[in-house]
Amino acid sequence: MTFRQFAFNNVTRNKRLYAAYFLSSMFTVMVFFAFSIFAFHPALSGDEMNMSVAQGMYISAGIIYVFSFFFVLYSMSSFLQSRKKEFGLLMIQGMSMKQIRTMVFLENMVIGFFATIFGIGIGLVFAKGILMLAENVLVLSGELNFYFPILAILLTFVSFMILFFFISLFVSYVLRSKKLIELIKGNKKSKGEPKANLFLTLIAVVLLVAGYVVALMAKGMEVLAVMLPVIIVVSIGTYLLFTQLSVYVIRKLKNNENVFWFKTNMILFSDLSFRMKDNARTFFLVAMVSTVAFSAIGTLYGFQTYLTAGTKITNPNSFTYYAYDNEEQDVALINEVLKEENIKANQEQMMFNYYEIEGAWVVIAKESDFNRFAALIGEEGVSIPEGKTVVVEFDGVPFNQTEELLKDSIQLNSGKTLVPKKDEVIYSRALPATASYYLVSDKDYQQLPAPVDETSYYAWQATSGEQNVFAAGEKLSKELPRHEFTSVDYRLYETNQMYAPILFVGLFIGIVFFVSAGSFLYFRLYMDVEEDKQKFKSISKMGLSENEMKKVLSRQTAILFFAPILVALIHGAVALTALSHMFEYNLVKESVIVLSVFFVIQIFYYFIVRFYYYRQIKGAL
Amino acid sequence: MLNVKQVSKIYEGKMAYRALTDIDLKIETGEFVGIMGPSGSGKTTLLNLIATIDEPTTGEVLINGQNPHKLKKDDLAKFRRRELGFVFQEFNLLHTLTVEENMVLPLTLDGAKVKDMKEKAHSIAEKIGIKEIMNKRTYEISGGQAQRAAVARAMIHQPTLLLADEPTGNLDSKASKDVMTMLENINKTEKTTMMLVTHDAQAASYCNRVVFIRDGKLYSEIHRGDNRQAFFQKIIDTLSLMGGDAHDLSPIRV
Repeated sequence: MTFRQFAFNNVTRNKRLYAAYFLSSMFTVMVFFAFSIFAFHPALSGDEMNMSVAQGMYISAGIIYVFSFFFVLYSMSSFLQSRKKEFGLLMIQGMSMKQIRTMVFLENMVIGFFATIFGIGIGLVFAKGILMLAENVLVLSGELNFYFPILAILLTFVSFMILFFFISLFVSYVLRSKKLIELIKGNKKSKGEPKANLFLTLIAVVLLVAGYVVALMAKGMEVLAVMLPVIIVVSIGTYLLFTQLSVYVIRKLKNNENVFWFKTNMILFSDLSFRMKDNARTFFLVAMVSTVAFSAIGTLYGFQTYLTAGTKITNPNSFTYYAYDNEEQDVALINEVLKEENIKANQEQMMFNYYEIEGAWVVIAKESDFNRFAALIGEEGVSIPEGKTVVVEFDGVPFNQTEELLKDSIQLNSGKTLVPKKDEVIYSRALPATASYYLVSDKDYQQLPAPVDETSYYAWQATSGEQNVFAAGEKLSKELPRHEFTSVDYRLYETNQMYAPILFVGLFIGIVFFVSAGSFLYFRLYMDVEEDKQKFKSISKMGLSENEMKKVLSRQTAILFFAPILVALIHGAVALTALSHMFEYNLVKESVIVLSVFFVIQIFYYFIVRFYYYRQIKGAL
Repeated sequence: MLNVKQVSKIYEGKMAYRALTDIDLKIETGEFVGIMGPSGSGKTTLLNLIATIDEPTTGEVLINGQNPHKLKKDDLAKFRRRELGFVFQEFNLLHTLTVEENMVLPLTLDGAKVKDMKEKAHSIAEKIGIKEIMNKRTYEISGGQAQRAAVARAMIHQPTLLLADEPTGNLDSKASKDVMTMLENINKTEKTTMMLVTHDAQAASYCNRVVFIRDGKLYSEIHRGDNRQAFFQKIIDTLSLMGGDAHDLSPIRV
């Protein structure tokens, strides 16, 4: 057996031990590969708009690559930590540190090679599914065909071989010559419970509360200004939360013998405090990474609903048309297309007149026009008595000029002055002016001075054949200029199409972060598996029933899985609330959806991991 | 109190292996019995069967007239932690706990009161002289102290049967002597029934009776008279008669 054979056999005959590391490496390769299949798709390297999308993809691929590097590095070093004893044994047999490094390097290359190959293989199998998913999310016109992604394969293979090479090199030099006795004693010695400092514990609470309060109090653009300081303060607070507050709480629990000496609590808490130093770091990392994932996906999702909701609110009619030129022709065309598509629609027309008041152009509409358009979208009409005017604010749009209009007044030709009253403001979506306007009675309307500008405005509201509204909108949008003709459905489609790539990339990266957070936890758990096996072996001989063991393991895993996630959920909720303050748009529904989806995934993940962990420990008894 | 009836153990597998053949063994209440034999003779298998860690292929084991192998899994766990006490060669103390916490662990699992646990732990610690190390962690104490702590853990719930598997195997001669004297004392004062598996003739000489096993069968048994030295000699003689390997005779096995 040559040395190379030894290193090779060490991996291939010890698959179980290496499985966790192998799988997580493979997973990262798969993620990267899936992403690059998409980024290199021929359908995406066509016209200009897609070019910018593709550029975004490459940048994202870069981010995923950098993240993969740190992830694999982390997995690798924790994997090596758990093998200290083995290295000690090899050194007793007379292996030099140099040989151990060579061995680790070779092993790592073997694992890296197979992880890359299998990652690409599995990625290829799922490629079609990923492409289909992308197609749906991206609302891409034209199908994304399955293709044999030679470029993606090459890129993935080469970049990951480089990655594994450098990590192998790096890690094998991290293994500095520790004292043999330390290696052999391995994890027998306590890594030391971190000391809880009351002052720092208080600081943790203060920092978190302060960060939250500031984030929640900020309004509008202040959110942007306080964002960075809040993030820093909350990050420090979170770190202290896990390193100080948790230690402090566990200490207190341990010192209370009524709790600590109660049934299986002793086994649970003693381990928790023993591993707290390692746990605290993992918890912090997982909490922060998950927060990023939650906030990113929440933001993107919220932003998308914000945009679509905005389009829907400002366009209550199926179609609208402003006549700048070719009025008769265009209206005839619209009606013709509606007929072709079997759409019955109510049509209304009015003149949109702008008047100069105090140097600003303001729309003044008459009661009858307003009522006709209100009826069109099913709103109630109003009646304005002669000699009065009301200000109408567009319902649901935060940017308006209501305040300014209330200060001004309308001069009629007759010399009368119409003054609006503050408590008579009407909220309506009847007329398309997103800025507020005046409404006067038909009689007073006659008395208005000459308008500075007038536009003929048409609106259609489909009453039947709604399923064809989109097709008609698409057809007409291609014929008529954008500033004249608007079809809500087609506008929404356009918005989605433009926005979808960003959403897709964001989702992808968010999911990668989230899954990596899960993998961090998984690694944390599996680093202790041997120790746990040993421990439960001795305790079960003394008489620990399976149920009790299950209980201890469930709680241990639950703390590991939910402590950081709960913190991340709270962070995420605060971040999204602050964000909704910035947009002045209610994101509660979206936040709840995103956060609860993640929470449910985490619960699933917990049950799966718990099942396997329990099975493994039980198998060792 | 312990009645092993016609017990055989066969390890199934590609090469079925018969570890024990028709073993009969009776131990009376308050007795201190040693089991000796060369490596691979089936000593530890027998201990594991009695300890309910393993199950016999045929035959039955009765402890106080009850067959623990017929119990359900959870009841078996309870039976173990109430009726049996274990001392292992490698101590098996949990290194995340202090000595005191290790000692009371079996009681906490049963949900005992903290006050009672403290009292029991302290009285036992006093008896076996580990009071000073109660708050130390397991890696801060010596092997002899660790084994005494393990004995304390095995004794704290006053088991009906204390089983020890090579308790002196990891100890030096001074510590072995201390531990064995302590076990003998506990046997005498508390009247705890004890069964000890060992290679160590010196350790075995503290027992009332030593049973020899060879190739999975009972070989012979000898009783101790008044003189421990003479008993030790008899054990050595029997071992050499059995023709074990030379190292089985060494008084201390590390």
